[in-house]
Amino acid sequence: MAELKVLREIDPSARVAPDASVGPYCVVGPNVTIGPRTRLVGRVSVSGHTTIGSDNVFEAGCVLGAVPQDLKYAGGPTLLHIGHRNRFGRFVTAHIGTESGGYLTRIGDDNVFMDGSHIAHDCYVDDHVCFGRNVMLAGHIRVHTGAVIEELSGVHHFVTIGRYSRVGARTPVRRDVPPFTEFLSAESDSTPAVRGIYEAGISRAALPSEEEKDLRRALHELFDNEFALQTRIEQLFNLGVEGEVAELCKFCQQSLRGVYGRYRELFRGRIPPEARQYLPREQWAQIAREMP
Amino acid sequence: MREISSKAVVEPSAEIADDVRIGPFTYVGGGVRIGAGCIIKNNVTITGRTTLGARSSVFPMAVIGVSPSGEEADGECIIGEANAIREFVTIYAGRARPTRLGIDNLLMIGSVVEAGATVGNHGIFANCTHICEGAIVEDYVRASAFPVIEPGVRVGAYTFINGYAGVDRNVPPFAIVEGMPVRVRGVNAENLKRCGFGDQDIRALKEAFRELFNGSSAQADAAAIARLESQGQLNPHVRGLIEAVRCGGGGNG
Repeated sequence: MAELKVLREIDPSARVAPDASVGPYCVVGPNVTIGPRTRLVGRVSVSGHTTIGSDNVFEAGCVLGAVPQDLKYAGGPTLLHIGHRNRFGRFVTAHIGTESGGYLTRIGDDNVFMDGSHIAHDCYVDDHVCFGRNVMLAGHIRVHTGAVIEELSGVHHFVTIGRYSRVGARTPVRRDVPPFTEFLSAESDSTPAVRGIYEAGISRAALPSEEEKDLRRALHELFDNEFALQTRIEQLFNLGVEGEVAELCKFCQQSLRGVYGRYRELFRGRIPPEARQYLPREQWAQIAREMP
Repeated sequence: MREISSKAVVEPSAEIADDVRIGPFTYVGGGVRIGAGCIIKNNVTITGRTTLGARSSVFPMAVIGVSPSGEEADGECIIGEANAIREFVTIYAGRARPTRLGIDNLLMIGSVVEAGATVGNHGIFANCTHICEGAIVEDYVRASAFPVIEPGVRVGAYTFINGYAGVDRNVPPFAIVEGMPVRVRGVNAENLKRCGFGDQDIRALKEAFRELFNGSSAQADAAAIARLESQGQLNPHVRGLIEAVRCGGGGNG
């Protein structure tokens, strides 16, 4: 094993679990934590204040924790947090957060990122998400649990991708994608929009049958209907909705409140609510002190 | 202080200025010159006759100065100061004429600059921008993700290229362009504002664009060019636009 040591560079102050494996030509920076049984296959670079949980696999050539491509980044010690059991294909890149965007890029558990995907600064990717090849997330994006984004799709800044939704291949996503829907272009050059219900998403969510029935009805009422979305949401709210349907209505309502159909635009230049939820407590306290 | 990792491979004939930092597993070929204050991260390949201007940064897995045919790299690549070359960017060396990059450009992840392409100054190119052989990109151009700027095409200054666009013909300065085949959608007012253009200039350009491109089209209207030119006092930027369109900068090229 002495030979292998020469072929990689792990900073002495990095905290790498004894049973994590760091392959040849990997570079691990000083402020990095790598959890148990996580595997860096080879030529993986990890820099920045990056914390990686247990049982992740990073294929050859991933670059994690590099500084954001956002010009507003001022060089601060912002964070990248990666949870457990994620699989990263070759050449996946994930950047640390920016100061003005909430200090944190967060990736949850059990996600799959295929070759060449990019998770930019200040993104929050929840759990059980699947990215196809070369999916590009711009900054400040929230991807909710169970979403599927297919090959070569690019997501605009501040977009929210709803739970168990699907974004078709090569789709430019410039507005929020509601939960349980399919978002794609009908023809090669048409504007991408909600084009149907994502059946596989509904079955993966494994809802109780009554709730599933309500959800299907709500989805039809919201998206197969001639009235303005706002009116339909209000009608549903007036009926008294709960559970997944209430979440769906809330999601659509928020997107309408946002700018260009993007709810998170309202957090432009501000710390988003997720930062309070996910940042380590001391870090949050420090930021809260500095906030105007 | 120069800081070159003991695990980097730097050919002895490479010219490395002071204050340059080079990370582990990076290869710097013999014909390479690196300016003061450059930061080259780990796992980077720089080869060919490549000049990298001062204060540039190159991120992991980027490849600069390779030959497109895969033969021994003997082309030339001239990169100006303060460029940020991000992860997985490939810049090919040009044989017939050097590949040129001006100053203060940001090439985001996975972008490609092919042999003999010329990129101006202060450009920002989002992920997977592909600048083909011999293409010319002027100053202050912005590109969203996945566009292809096809061989020999000229992109005018201050223009914004929308995501997934196929820029298959010359596009004028000051424009927002999109689609495949590419069409002019309007004036890139936001970028112009950020670059210090006054309201009056932007208004004049908007009017000119409305005349020339009739809302949204690929081709500049020849009659509109003549009509605009016949006007007495022409805004200098509009004059620049018309000149560019005349020399094939507006879909005629």
